[in-house]
Amino acid sequence: MDKSSSQRLPPLKRNWWLKHRFFKLYMLREATVLPLVFFTLCLLAGMVALLQGAESWQGWIAFMGSPIVLLLNLLALAASLYHAATFFVLFPRVMPIRIAGHSLPDQVIVAGQWAGVVVVALLFFWLLGRG
Amino acid sequence: MNKIAMNKPSMGQNSAQHKQAFDEPLWWGLFSAGGVCFAILLPAVILFIAVLLPLGLLPAEELSYERASSLLFSVPGFLFVGAVVCLPLFHAAHRLRHGMFDISVGNDALNKKLMYGSAALLSLLALGVVVAGMLS
Repeated sequence: MDKSSSQRLPPLKRNWWLKHRFFKLYMLREATVLPLVFFTLCLLAGMVALLQGAESWQGWIAFMGSPIVLLLNLLALAASLYHAATFFVLFPRVMPIRIAGHSLPDQVIVAGQWAGVVVVALLFFWLLGRG
Repeated sequence: MNKIAMNKPSMGQNSAQHKQAFDEPLWWGLFSAGGVCFAILLPAVILFIAVLLPLGLLPAEELSYERASSLLFSVPGFLFVGAVVCLPLFHAAHRLRHGMFDISVGNDALNKKLMYGSAALLSLLALGVVVAGMLS
């Protein structure tokens, strides 16, 4: 950035991120929100159906069971886990935790967050899975 | 109100460049809060509601119309929607806005309004449904 620092950099081409694996993974991570948006819209539709009555609610469950919707939501599940994997490693970098003068190892913070995912899943199992 | 780095060269170098972006901390704050919810809560939510429920793998009465209504249309249900719908929506809006900038789609000033505006409208709809259900 020596003498050109006062000038603007040339605009990037649209495919700049295809040239390196690191940038491809970055774009993949950015793209995890696409199936998330799909799931969120499904969930919103379900909430509206629940408000409308028992028949719409059963209709919504049938809609959620149609192969393409199920497939996209499985993709959303995978995307949420990929997002989690990339997000959890950021935490110790953004906010290192020190306890009694010793900094907590990164792996402990990452493992703690995965434990959070498991606890939430167990909570759901307790709430919905006992029969 | 654009971030300096996101100003297009054609927008005029001196006029927009030194504007203070007062609102950006809000969007980044909602983005990280939504990111935490997406990572910690959404895997279980998607697994139970979008996979196990439609496949019939949950005990039949667990999300019957009556049970689902009483769970969702309540104060915990309101908080659940805030954490599982609203915050992730703002997270997604932020990522989509920056992703569109990354691949030079559209114009950032407009994308910003569209993305955060949609997230806000859908959030209001979601919370409104819960309130309507609590009142009915």
